[in-house]
Amino acid sequence: MKPFSIAWSNVRRMLRERSNIFFVFIFPIALILLIGVQFGGGVDPIVGTFSADDGDLSQEIHAAIEAGESFDVIVYETEEALVDAVELGSVQAGVFLPAGMDAATAEGTPVEIGYVARPDGFGAQMQAIVNSIVAEVMMPVGAAQYAAAETGQPFTTALAASQSIADSLQVSPVDVSYLGEALFPASLGQFDLGAASQLILFVFLTAMAGSAALILTRQLGISARMLSTPTSVGQIVVGESLGRFGVALVQGVYIMVLTLIIFSVNWGDPIGAIMLLIFFSAVGAGAGMLMGSVFSNDQQASGMGVMLSLGLAALGGCMLPIELFPPTMRTVAHVTPHAWALDGFAELVRRGGTVVDILPELGVLAAYAAALFALASWRLRVAITRP
Amino acid sequence: MRAAFQIALKDLRLRIRDRSAVIIGVIAPLVLAFIFNLVFGGAFTPSEGLDISYGIVDEDRGDITVAFSEGFAQSGQFEVSGYNNRADAEQAIEDGTIDAFFHFEPGFTQEVLAGGSPQIAVVGDVDSPTSTQIAASIAEGFSISLRTSTLALTTAAALSGSPITPDFIASVSDPTAALGSFSIADLSADTKQLDPTTYFAAGMAAFFLFFTVQYGVLGLLEEERDGTMARLLAAPISRSAVVSGKAILSFLLGLIATTILIVSTALLMGAEWGHPLGVALLAIAGVLSAVGIMGFVAALAKSPEGAGNLGAIIAVILGMLGGVFFPIGQGDDFLSNLTFITPHAWFMRGLAQLSGDASWTEALPAVGAIMLFAVVTGGAAWTMLSRRMRT
Repeated sequence: MKPFSIAWSNVRRMLRERSNIFFVFIFPIALILLIGVQFGGGVDPIVGTFSADDGDLSQEIHAAIEAGESFDVIVYETEEALVDAVELGSVQAGVFLPAGMDAATAEGTPVEIGYVARPDGFGAQMQAIVNSIVAEVMMPVGAAQYAAAETGQPFTTALAASQSIADSLQVSPVDVSYLGEALFPASLGQFDLGAASQLILFVFLTAMAGSAALILTRQLGISARMLSTPTSVGQIVVGESLGRFGVALVQGVYIMVLTLIIFSVNWGDPIGAIMLLIFFSAVGAGAGMLMGSVFSNDQQASGMGVMLSLGLAALGGCMLPIELFPPTMRTVAHVTPHAWALDGFAELVRRGGTVVDILPELGVLAAYAAALFALASWRLRVAITRP
Repeated sequence: MRAAFQIALKDLRLRIRDRSAVIIGVIAPLVLAFIFNLVFGGAFTPSEGLDISYGIVDEDRGDITVAFSEGFAQSGQFEVSGYNNRADAEQAIEDGTIDAFFHFEPGFTQEVLAGGSPQIAVVGDVDSPTSTQIAASIAEGFSISLRTSTLALTTAAALSGSPITPDFIASVSDPTAALGSFSIADLSADTKQLDPTTYFAAGMAAFFLFFTVQYGVLGLLEEERDGTMARLLAAPISRSAVVSGKAILSFLLGLIATTILIVSTALLMGAEWGHPLGVALLAIAGVLSAVGIMGFVAALAKSPEGAGNLGAIIAVILGMLGGVFFPIGQGDDFLSNLTFITPHAWFMRGLAQLSGDASWTEALPAVGAIMLFAVVTGGAAWTMLSRRMRT
């Protein structure tokens, strides 16, 4: 019974601190919302356009770009504004349509369309897309230039001819199809990916932050006084561990339930999800206990705690889906318990698994928890009983 | 003023001896910047992350499809491998060897030469939508260029009133000339965006800066709680000297930590911060705004614990909104404007403006914006804290 009362007082202590209310209950939800808004629902790249004049060709190309489905379009009024937007990353690429395209093409002069992208991510891809859009518009123009040069007819006559032939030409669509099962299926909700990763991140962070409370308990001599009562070291260690575990679990259940209600996040099989949460909370509690027993300065411990929780979360795939990691990094990621817990949630949510399917993940988490608790209680015994 | 500096120096020694300021100010941001760069840098750098491999299933083996394969292999942009049939290529996708493949059916070349426009199939891995889209637009571009040649020939034939016979084709020049009606020129723009390494180094430096300066201003409240403040004020030291002493300490802690971070990330991780003068101005303005904001928080709080907690909340919200962990907002939406209510966003924007060998003056607008935060919050904090010392 004693361990439970120690644990319960720990949970109450945490809940009474007003700033904890923010970090434990408000901030995670706000972050899930922010990440869902920012990254959920697929990020369409944005192309900025600038037309130096509003000639026919210019308008036609512009309309074709607007009609493209692969990206959103923002129209810029000046060249500088578009260059700025590309350079600062507000849009992924910029398309510059020069002045006098109609006149130039009539003379048979090639027009030069400017394209600007930053060397990261989508640049190359979008140039290929923009290229094919422009090429399609310019098809009758190029054909007319060729025909005019070959036959000596005026360009306008040739253009009229090529346009009417182009309209009658049979269009061959490129047939695109996909193979395999989607890793992130379209049915995946806007908040689903973020919710599981943030749950893992925050449960661990909160449990680690608990180490400061443990250090204070030792510093203020509370553990020493508890020892003077008929309470064994074992009971204190178990009680403190249960306290950390309880705090982590309370937060985890809260995040799960609230995101289920307000964002309708799909957590998969409820029993499996709860089991994952319990096992991962135990890992977090173990880590928090270890920190709390190794450090003797609470400020140092909280600094290290924040660093370790954010660092491990990033490595473990809480900030970027592990599926997007390079292969070596994917192996490194599985050194962290986070990656195993996320694998478990992926199994439950995306592949509709049940408890049986996540037994390997649960096993690994249990091993982590056992090792951390063993290490922590050994260190804590030493720390508490040290004269 | 001498008293203020003495107070600041005494506290500075204390803070450095207590390692927690070192952990928060230097070690945590450095380690996190390293990890984030490792995780995100690799995934988003095109050279490493977008290793695209394509397959080609050419069941036609005609002039046109062979030309496509050869042109593709020569471009050197992608890994290309040939497959004998569709089943092999599908297997390769499932094995993860290729991201997508192009499939030309038998008779492709013949159909094109006969004026038709046969279909090109692109089959992609469902988990490589980007690579598949690229493949689709490459196929699209190729198909359009074929059609353009056909159209050019047909138009020329129509205008000269002759049918498209081999004789006619021999009499005209190469119809692929019709593809030259336009070109897409890669305009080089300066990248005014931070590379991942610098982004995370700067983001973590800005994020933890607000925690680091807390060690200074919170000292004021700690002295108040511990009763040493009354003793300080009993000495012939002005109130403003005590307040400015703590402010100077905050500033020094922040500046030292930021300098160490800038230099060490540049040396250890290859972060490119830009023109030293511009960076220095941004760093100083950034530290001043952190001192101002955290001073204001301290002035609002009743106890050092309360100030610490409220400060942490403010620092986390401002940092998150300011885009120190991931860029906030896209295009010109609500979030991308909201982010600029934080000094963090201006700091990152200022550094971005400096990137690509820009002149140091590029940072000035951002420096001005950050100083506005510093002056407004710092002024309020100064007034409130000085008044508080009087009671």
